[in-house]
Amino acid sequence: MATYDNKIWLLKNIRDAFIATDDTGLCEIVMAGEDFSKVFQNKAIEEKKRIREMRLTQPGPSKGKDGMGDISEEEVGREIVTQFDPYPDMDDSEDDDPLCGSYVRYEEFGGHRPRSNTAQWLDKKEQALKKAAKIKVIKWEDSTPLTTDQLAEAFAKFEVKRPEKKKSLLAEQLQNCPNLPHRQYLEYAKFDGTAQLGLPTKSFKIFMTMLPEKYQNYPLVVCVIASAKIKDLIGFTCYKYSIEHPDITLGSVHDYGLCIAEDDGEVDWAFPCLDANEPCSKFGFTCLGLVELKSKNAMTLPPSSIPEDGMSGAFHVFSKVTDSGQSHQNPSRHNTGGSSTSEAVLIALKALNEGGADTDLGKMQSHIMATEAPQYKAYKVQLLRKVRTNTSVQLGISLDRIEVEPLVTHKHAFWSRSKYFLHSIDSVAWCQILETRGNRTTFRIVYSPSHNVTYADRSNTGNSTIFQPNTTYKLHDFECEHDTAKEIVEKVNTILDLRNSPCRREYKTAKEKKLQTRRSFHTKHMS
Amino acid sequence: MSGDGSGGGGSAVALVTGGYDHTIKLWQAHSGVCLRTMQHPDSQVNGLEISPTGQMVAACGYQHIRMYDLASANPDPVVNFEGITKNVARVGFQKNDLWMYTGGEDWTARIWDPRAAPQFRCTKIFQVQAPVNTVTLHPDQTQIMVGDQSGIIHMWDLRTDQNEQLIPDAEASIQDIAIDPEGKMMAAVNNKGNCYVWSLGGAAPHPVPLKHIVAHSKYALRCKFSLDSTMLVTTSGDCSAKVWRTSDWTLLRELRNDTQRWVWDAAFSIDSRYLFTGSSDSYARLWDVEKGTLEREYCGHQKAITALAFRDQAV
Repeated sequence: MATYDNKIWLLKNIRDAFIATDDTGLCEIVMAGEDFSKVFQNKAIEEKKRIREMRLTQPGPSKGKDGMGDISEEEVGREIVTQFDPYPDMDDSEDDDPLCGSYVRYEEFGGHRPRSNTAQWLDKKEQALKKAAKIKVIKWEDSTPLTTDQLAEAFAKFEVKRPEKKKSLLAEQLQNCPNLPHRQYLEYAKFDGTAQLGLPTKSFKIFMTMLPEKYQNYPLVVCVIASAKIKDLIGFTCYKYSIEHPDITLGSVHDYGLCIAEDDGEVDWAFPCLDANEPCSKFGFTCLGLVELKSKNAMTLPPSSIPEDGMSGAFHVFSKVTDSGQSHQNPSRHNTGGSSTSEAVLIALKALNEGGADTDLGKMQSHIMATEAPQYKAYKVQLLRKVRTNTSVQLGISLDRIEVEPLVTHKHAFWSRSKYFLHSIDSVAWCQILETRGNRTTFRIVYSPSHNVTYADRSNTGNSTIFQPNTTYKLHDFECEHDTAKEIVEKVNTILDLRNSPCRREYKTAKEKKLQTRRSFHTKHMS
Repeated sequence: MSGDGSGGGGSAVALVTGGYDHTIKLWQAHSGVCLRTMQHPDSQVNGLEISPTGQMVAACGYQHIRMYDLASANPDPVVNFEGITKNVARVGFQKNDLWMYTGGEDWTARIWDPRAAPQFRCTKIFQVQAPVNTVTLHPDQTQIMVGDQSGIIHMWDLRTDQNEQLIPDAEASIQDIAIDPEGKMMAAVNNKGNCYVWSLGGAAPHPVPLKHIVAHSKYALRCKFSLDSTMLVTTSGDCSAKVWRTSDWTLLRELRNDTQRWVWDAAFSIDSRYLFTGSSDSYARLWDVEKGTLEREYCGHQKAITALAFRDQAV
């Protein structure tokens, strides 16, 4: 076993490293096949002499115990001497060599890569030779005069017949293959890295995160040329996927983004998508998830600056904080509202499972809901008010809070100004869908200002009080599209269940009590 | 195409393209998917030709003539022809795969014998006074038309080694020569975009000028007859391929596309309905000549496609 305290191995490694890194080829010529320990000893002496002479004529910074230190600064001598010097010590068996310390920089050659560069180089050469051996070479030979018979044989005249009309197999194949789903991504085909000569390439494992679960089991391995941009990689991924799975329809390349993912395909939503205009060679990640930009933005849109009037707002008014936990977002991307991955997945699942219900997928779905729920996500919804008109707000939900941020449309219209609310999730007690009218659904979030430890309750307006006795509960009513509402309620409830805060427990108990009273009243009444 | 060419190990329908990116690509013609990429190191591809058996494809380029096995997955050539110091412009096969012919910038046209251990080696060389731009074999397999940079078409008789010359325009170089499958017409295009047609094999022993078409405003690059001899396609640096009726030499189709650039090569399907073209925009295209529509595009090359070869199968 070769280890770092094996001097011979170490020296060999260093030597190999020089061969591999020396572009001049000098090292190779000098060292190949020689009894290097002896040869180098002699050469080292010569070289040292030569360099000492040079130093005499050309004084430079001298440092080191024996001419070695400054020799290493000498461009020509450096490589040769540092190779030479250790070799005389080779006979010293396994003793610790103080010089070894200076070669730590070759560490990367050790351990998991026991084969030396020379061996690899030799392998390559051998392979090239083998390859060459497979190629038959026909050298040009000047013509020798042929006999008449040979001429007649080799250059016999053929009778030219009118070719009969034939039906083309190509035409038939074209007819049988009228639609090609990959055609829309064709322009990206040229980024295929699997068949390039001399061009650097890069391979990625891409998880088709935006597709239904059952298509996400295996990542698509794509190899593109290193100069391809991220958007090209997205395009090529779509191209390759649509060839392999012509039955699955993918959307426009511009709808997708690539996110960093774990080995198991779990997308890291905390990071923004990779910049589509950057070359993919710039990124070190090999596992990526293809996501829909829409849902990605909805997932990660950070709270933008807090409107000033929020300062005097009703509930927990935060000072203008920049949320350090949020990744910085490209301002050109907008929150497009309701749509999200899980929703897309749900729809796709529904469509796909029409034939037969798949309970496992359903389970997985709820599991995903649970894992995704704590992630910050913003929704565009209408805040319903009793007195004033409804205002559109951005409802941000994360594991520790719910924020209601007005989307200011009329900056100077005082009546439409609304406040910025921020509730710690521990002060939120309940969330439920109230009613659905057509495509619009209203839902309610109940919270308790008194459960907010950190922030004093300064509110009073526009919020009805539900439970009087011990705790005051207040509520917000919102309205949005049904699917979004459903998702929000699910998300909030998942988080609430996860946290199971005292506020929620109290509210639940109170509600149950009330229900019981009602029921008992009802039963009493009935009897 | 002879009937005995239907065998072979390669796929029945094969489209092969090559160009400036030093690769040769084999395509599934009907789907547009690249099946394989073969390496053509150190040189662009000037010409491609699929062997009569359909097993091999020959590629010629700078200092190289190589043969690749279409049936295997080997990305490297299986035969290397050595001894050429300049660009080789064209390569082609004798009908029965007995020999191969090339022409190039070393001012020669050559006959190569690719057979492993022939009883006699039939190599031949034909010297002209200018770089050879194109070589075309007459369907009767006894004559090779050699078109050169000085504008001369040499009709090289392989049996007698005698030659006859045609000079359609002394001030323009011959870029390509085509002979129709019936052996009755010969067409040549030059770098001024002109196309000249002669009739062959008539009562007269020599080619008789038949037609002169001002086919393109710029450099013409290739010309080819359809298999039924009813059409002639000319391709050009004016970013188009034009299909001409051989009955009255009128223009049947002008095949253009917004992104298409120089059209370097073209090939008809066996039923003369479809036409493949290869262009500098790195795309190969499939056109329906009857309808004049673009049917398929083949994307994958990094640089210009300068040569293509197509082999169809009769059903």
